[in-house]
Amino acid sequence: MKKLIALLLTGCMVAATLVGCGAKEATANPDADVAVEETASDLEYVKEKGVLVVGITDFAPMDYKDEAGEWIGFDADMAKGFAQKLGVEVEFVEIDWDNKILELDGKTIDCVWNGMTLTDEVKAAMDCSNAYCNNAQVVIVPADKAADYQTVESLEGLAFAVEAGSAGEAEVTALGLDCTPVKAQSDALMEVAAGTSDAAVIDSLMAAAMVGEGTGYADLTYTVGLNSEEYGVGFRKGSDLVAELNAYFVESYAAGTMQECADTYGVAAALVEQK
Amino acid sequence: MELILEQMPIVLPALNAGFIQTLKLFVVTLVGALPLGLVIAFGAMSKFKPLSLFTKLVIWIIRGTPLMIQLLIIYYFPGLVLDNPIWGSGEKGRFLAASVAFIFNYACYFAEIYRGGIQSVPVGQEEAGLVLGMTKSQIFFRVKLLQMVKRIVPPVSNEIITLVKDTSLSRIIALQEVIWAGQAFMKGTQGISGAIWPLFFTAIYYLIFSGILTVLLGKLEQKLDYFR
Repeated sequence: MKKLIALLLTGCMVAATLVGCGAKEATANPDADVAVEETASDLEYVKEKGVLVVGITDFAPMDYKDEAGEWIGFDADMAKGFAQKLGVEVEFVEIDWDNKILELDGKTIDCVWNGMTLTDEVKAAMDCSNAYCNNAQVVIVPADKAADYQTVESLEGLAFAVEAGSAGEAEVTALGLDCTPVKAQSDALMEVAAGTSDAAVIDSLMAAAMVGEGTGYADLTYTVGLNSEEYGVGFRKGSDLVAELNAYFVESYAAGTMQECADTYGVAAALVEQK
Repeated sequence: MELILEQMPIVLPALNAGFIQTLKLFVVTLVGALPLGLVIAFGAMSKFKPLSLFTKLVIWIIRGTPLMIQLLIIYYFPGLVLDNPIWGSGEKGRFLAASVAFIFNYACYFAEIYRGGIQSVPVGQEEAGLVLGMTKSQIFFRVKLLQMVKRIVPPVSNEIITLVKDTSLSRIIALQEVIWAGQAFMKGTQGISGAIWPLFFTAIYYLIFSGILTVLLGKLEQKLDYFR
């Protein structure tokens, strides 16, 4: 009797602990062939799935929701066009920006298309498209103190808040300024608004949309631009979707649809010529 | 203040939608972890050594690592290591992965509470049952179980209240629960950007919900106030 119960319980335990693994193995076998092909061609993988999963964050004017809850923005609209060209559906998935490489390599998304600055780190971890937008890192300070901080030299001694792993952090560190890394660019803004940091460094496109009159941070403004940089789309290492997207950019630039789209979202001035 | 009132009609539905995710995760975790915990408790108490050792190893691993890491491993490892993203894309896959992580984690804590409860019933009662000719399972279900249930209500309540707040950890795999929904307004969404108050406002949701739970669990404890 005791042995029987022990046996039964062993069965239960093994079944319970291995439920996840069991499912993995069950699906892994029939998919084994596909998995081999995947490494050969990301394009085939996406086409077979029938859906391009785009990793984004809520980031106006690149990817954001309209009133109906639909994802729009310069990046979102271009992604829709690209998926259409591939003949697949597009699915937008909000991700934690810190985990973008994990998401990409873990295949929970197929590309990162969200006003991503092409930093050395990004280029090392992903295969990226050609740059399609120019951007700069700008310094955010309270509007009433803006006059004092119009040059890079004047920033000495300020306590900065920057997004961890962002281009802004790299700039501030390179200048040898005092900085605290926070989780997101929006957190950096909150730090300045709350007075816990003197200044923040964020993307100029984002700054244009988020600070100044008529925004949630009416009493903040931006001053010095620290560097200029470019936005690109990130794919898995070795993905053949990169070439595919570059071709799509050239095509839509030549046709003028890319410029139209940029006009709609107010990023026309930052657009990079595709050829 | 005016601005907050103006933003309220947009923010509240978003927070409500987020809190529904929180609630779903909470309910699924309890439904899965309460019974699974009992199975694990039996495993840990088994006289069959390999089983009890294995169970204790599992409990050690699950209780000895942060839930946040477990979430990351469960969600990303299938795709990263096995090259096969089993959870599927989108919100559904994230919810599934989070549920599995939470159920295992909480089942291990519940198992230890159950074990304490079962072992707190004096041996004399088991011996008395045996003398009366009851079988082991009769003794467990008719003598020990109710006493155990009564004794474990306070520590289990504690875990349940903790669970309400732990669900927020699932935002690490981008499950859009209520804190994620609140934070979204800081970055800007649905025409509101740079609003800080929704993030802090989410605390009210947790507070009200754990208040309701405290009352309900208190009632349960009173109901179980038999033999003493």
